[in-house]
Amino acid sequence: MSVKIRFFARFRELLGTDIMTEPQAGTSLALLVAEIARKNRDGYEAIFDERGSFREFVILMRNGKRIETADAGTTLVADGDEIAVFPPVAGG
Amino acid sequence: MLSERECERYKRQILLFGDEAQERLKKAHIFIAGAGGLGSPVATYLAVAGVGTITIVDMDTVDLSNLNRQILHSDRDIGKKKTVSALEKLREYNADITVNAIDATITAGNVRELVGTADGIVDALDNYPVRYLLNRVALEKKIPFFHGAIRGFYGQATTIIPDKTACLECVFPKAPPSEVFPVLGATAGVIGSVQANEVVKYLTGKGTLLAGRLFTWDGTCAAAEEIVIEKNPACPACGKTPAKDHQSGKKR
Repeated sequence: MSVKIRFFARFRELLGTDIMTEPQAGTSLALLVAEIARKNRDGYEAIFDERGSFREFVILMRNGKRIETADAGTTLVADGDEIAVFPPVAGG
Repeated sequence: MLSERECERYKRQILLFGDEAQERLKKAHIFIAGAGGLGSPVATYLAVAGVGTITIVDMDTVDLSNLNRQILHSDRDIGKKKTVSALEKLREYNADITVNAIDATITAGNVRELVGTADGIVDALDNYPVRYLLNRVALEKKIPFFHGAIRGFYGQATTIIPDKTACLECVFPKAPPSEVFPVLGATAGVIGSVQANEVVKYLTGKGTLLAGRLFTWDGTCAAAEEIVIEKNPACPACGKTPAKDHQSGKKR
């Protein structure tokens, strides 16, 4: 199966965007994002805390629908999914 | 009624949306929170477009390090209150409108009074706690909240319409940690212009608002994208059983 990951703002700076992945069946959203993020230490640390949990401000969306980060470990990705991961941009 | 001078001044946009829409701009009152990177282009474009009353609030003093992006202020303003230089510049741009420049820190205690009877709130802030306060006041007063934020080459904007769209807390319930953020003046120009454009569309009734859509700008590759955003039924600000009042933003 094929799943696309789009990072935004600072996450994009560190990890790139529009990343096509081919996860195995049964892969959770949290696992997939963590696997991709591990390619860059700063990128991983921007998204996950020292316990490996999503930082509280991280926004996750699957096909335009918000997924609570607390549910990302039990939400399985499906073929054709598009996952968006972004931080709130704060400056002004 | 538009004066002859106003008809001439706004001629090129009256061609676009007509006299009646221009009169709607003239009668409007817009509240701009912040006279910094975003506040500069937003206030400038709303002033020259002929928005009749602009209230702009900031509590800072102009610093040399502001000048790479805050185009309401210049070298000669260093050390002045931002509201003083903002008022001077906006009057120079358009003496036919009313500008209220208020030197104040926006707090839970004064926010309702500061916003007063404005027709809309522009978010030109640099932090989420105060954004949350203004988001709640916009919901309470049922006026639109024109959100914008920038960092580095990246920016985002959306137009929040109470009862219709997701609110700021639906989309961003938790503030990111505060930081001294890197930023390019042109990024503030892009996002501030999008916000000013939204205000003009809202007031004139033209075009399609960024309602329920988060506009994102990636200046590194000049890509504009959008993310569909939906109301959170459990949102503490606009959900079915919202908290009656917002606690001090400092606790966030």
